[in-house]
Parts: sequence; C-alpha cells; structure tokens
Amino acid sequence: MVIKNKGRQKIEMVKMKNENNLQVTFSKRRSGLFKKASELCTLCGAEIVVIVFSPGRKVFSFGHPNVDVVIDRFLKINPHHPHQNNNLQLNEACLNAVVQDLNNHLTQVTEQLEEEKKRNEDLKQKRKDDKKSENWWEDPIEGFNLRQLTEFKCGLENFKKTVTTEASKYLQATGHNFYFGSSSNATFGIFDNDGNTNSESDLFNHRRLVDMNTFSGNHQNMIIPHPSTTPYGNNVIERFAPEHNQNQSQYCFKQERASECDRQPDHPPHYRHEYC
Amino acid sequence: MTRQKVKMAFIENESSRKATYKKRKRGILKKANELATLCGVPVGVIIDSPYDLTPEVWPSREDMDNVLSQLQRLPVMDRTKKMLNQESYLKQSISKASETCKKLTKENKELEMKEVMFDCLSGKTSPSRIEKNDLGACGNVIEQYLRNLNRRIEILSKNDGASSSSVHVVASTSVAMPIVELGSSSTAFCDMIRQQQIQSNMNQNVGSLDLNQQQW
Repeated sequence: MVIKNKGRQKIEMVKMKNENNLQVTFSKRRSGLFKKASELCTLCGAEIVVIVFSPGRKVFSFGHPNVDVVIDRFLKINPHHPHQNNNLQLNEACLNAVVQDLNNHLTQVTEQLEEEKKRNEDLKQKRKDDKKSENWWEDPIEGFNLRQLTEFKCGLENFKKTVTTEASKYLQATGHNFYFGSSSNATFGIFDNDGNTNSESDLFNHRRLVDMNTFSGNHQNMIIPHPSTTPYGNNVIERFAPEHNQNQSQYCFKQERASECDRQPDHPPHYRHEYC
Repeated sequence: MTRQKVKMAFIENESSRKATYKKRKRGILKKANELATLCGVPVGVIIDSPYDLTPEVWPSREDMDNVLSQLQRLPVMDRTKKMLNQESYLKQSISKASETCKKLTKENKELEMKEVMFDCLSGKTSPSRIEKNDLGACGNVIEQYLRNLNRRIEILSKNDGASSSSVHVVASTSVAMPIVELGSSSTAFCDMIRQQQIQSNMNQNVGSLDLNQQQW
C-alpha cells in the first residue's frame, strides 16, 4: 500500500523536535481542534471554551456562546440571573438561527471545494496520461530550444488571431464584452462597452476573410511533407506552398523579434507592413 | 469505522445527541492533549452540557487556572485578537474555503483551456468550436503562454550571444507548427503533422540548453 501522506503514519506523543514542523503541526492541529469544538456545539448544543497558546506565545481561543461567558461561569462570576432569562433565550434563538445559516453555507462551500479539487486532480491526471502525445509543443517549454520557441510562438500568435476573430464575431452577434489579456495594453481584442470592436480587430477580421478565400483552394499545396534532414530553416520553406508562406510570415511579423520568424526573405513582403 | 456524512445541525434525537456528545467530547480532549504534548504549549478546555453534572475541565482545574491567569496577563488587544465564537469562526471558515475554491476554479479553467488550445493546434478541434464563454479564458491562457515563451526566448538569446553552437538544432527534425486557420478543415493539419512524423522519424530533440523540465 502506497503511503500517500506522512500524516497517516503513527507519531510519537512527545514534543516535536523540528521547529518548523512544530509550527506547522501547531497550526493544523489548532485549526482542527477548533473545528471539532464548533461541531460539538452545533450538533449537541454544548457550551465550550478552548484556549491555546502558540509556540510564539500568542493566544487563540474559541468559545460558545462566547469565551468570556464560559470563563466567567467557570470562575463563578456572573451566574445566570433569573430575570434575564427571557432576553437570554431570545438572544440564543437568534444566535442559533444565524449559526445554522452559517453552517449550511459552510457545508455548501466545502462541497463545492471538494468538487473543484476532484476536477483539478482529474485534469492534472489527464495531462499526465496524455504526456506521450506526439506533439512536441505540448511538452514544457523549458525544454525547447530557440528555434522551437520561436516556431511555437509564431503558431500561437496565429492561433491567437483566430480566437480573437471568433470572439469579435460572437461579440458582434451578442453584444457581450470580452477582456482578453491581463494588462490594459493587451492587443488581444479589447472591446468597449458599446460592443464595438476596436479597429485592430476589424483589421484582423478583414484580413481573415481575405485569407479564408485565399486558403480555401490551397489545402493540397500545404501538405508537402519533406523527408529532408537539412537544417531547420530550409525544411520549413519546402514544406509550405509559397502563397501560404507569405501569409504565414505576415502574422509572425507582428512581433518585435520579427527576424526570428523571417524565413523567406526573398518573398515580396507586401503584406508585412500592416502588422508591424 | 464507517464514515457517514453528518449533517451539521442540532441533533434532534435525544439519545443520538447524548451518544454523539460523549464520543466527541472524548475526541476533543484527546486532540487537545495531543496538541499540548506535540507542540509543548499550554492548552485549556472547558466543556459543559446538560449531560454533565459539572463542567468538564481539561487538563485540570489548577492547570486551567494557570492558563486563565496567563490569559489575564495579556493586554486586551492580544487577548481578543484571535478570539472566536461560533459566528466569527464559521464566517472565517467560509471565507477561507471560498478563497481556495475560487483559486481552484481559476486554475481548473486554465488547465481546461490549455487542453483546448492543444487540441486546436493539433487539429482535433477548431477555434470556431470553442465555447463562446470560454474565448476570454482561452485568450488569457494564450497570452500567458506567449509571455512565458518570450521570457524563455530572451533567456536563450542572451545565452546564445556567446556561442551559436549551443543551439544544436541542426540534427533536430522538429516539425513545423501547424497553422490554425479559420474555415480550413482541421484534418489538413493533423495529416500534415502525422505524415511528417512518420516520414522524418520524429526524434524530438529538445535541445541541451535547459533540462529543467518544470511543468508549465
């Protein structure tokens, strides 16, 4: 049986040696103790107080109905006065209702949290299982060389444009707002409140429509696998039809490091300028 | 021990309630003891209920008196800073759980969008088939990926400045990126990739520059 976490192993009931572990243990166990105390109050209506001093001599306390009341009673201060009973009962009833609500809320949030955790595990597992994928770009980018990085970057830029177009189409259809990118200067299609796309997106859209027509007849030309083992750059040129190359380069040149993507210096660059 | 989900509400059934009280009280005292022992800190517990003639005090009355006097010695601010009752405790728990949940939801969306991105790039699906509500999240993931790529490019370019031989790509038979296009059939790219992989005997040379394979 695989030992998944160290916590489920038996530990000695003596003061912990490692300072850091001690602090962590304190945090966790104190939290757990308070949770148990809270549950006891809810389930059984008991009154309780738990006082804990941290290794750093800070004090944590939990009490129901509250810390002071229970301590006072323990110290035999302020016993219940009969004439206060009605008020007390009303307060208690109120408090109980509030607490019950909070408990329900907590249960709900906890359930949600569990679902998200499970989903997180599933997604990560799926990625692990898919790791043997044949697509080199799915591997961690830390393992890429410069060529691969720039190549992938070009491809992603392309993809980004397609997604932007989709978004602007959807926007025009429904008037929703999209906010792409994390910074305000992101060029990834920021739309104003009126549902108008910015001019950049229009340009993309327009270009896209043009390209669609250009490409639709060129599928066969694109698929030219080349068995050559010549250096990377040459391979790329020979793989794609010239028209396609040209348009590909236009997307790549949007970035500062245009030179990295430039594989066909001989081709007329008449599409380039619009995107630089 | 059978684990049944207990509803966090007052137990209506008297005998159930009493039984639960006894068990849980024992459990709390055990946990308090463990905490005090393992961490070497003062701990005091008082539990009172209709089921007990006198309130249960742990570790003992004297020890509790000690704890309380230590408490009294502290200035009011310190005493009450971390003082909780049911209401404040539950509110705190809810907010912590919500925070974690939000973070996880965000992470899950990113992971999901990453898969969508890869599926598009490899031709399994196309951008037009992405859920419209996800387009924004997808865009964010792409942006993030691009930022990381740019960072890596910068690092490698700097290192590259010294010697060009470090970029050992000559022997690489890496495949060109598929171009995702609107309107074109996704199978075109898949075919292209597959044919190239078959023919060029894909040896994915990831270069010798940085073998620190962190998961993005």
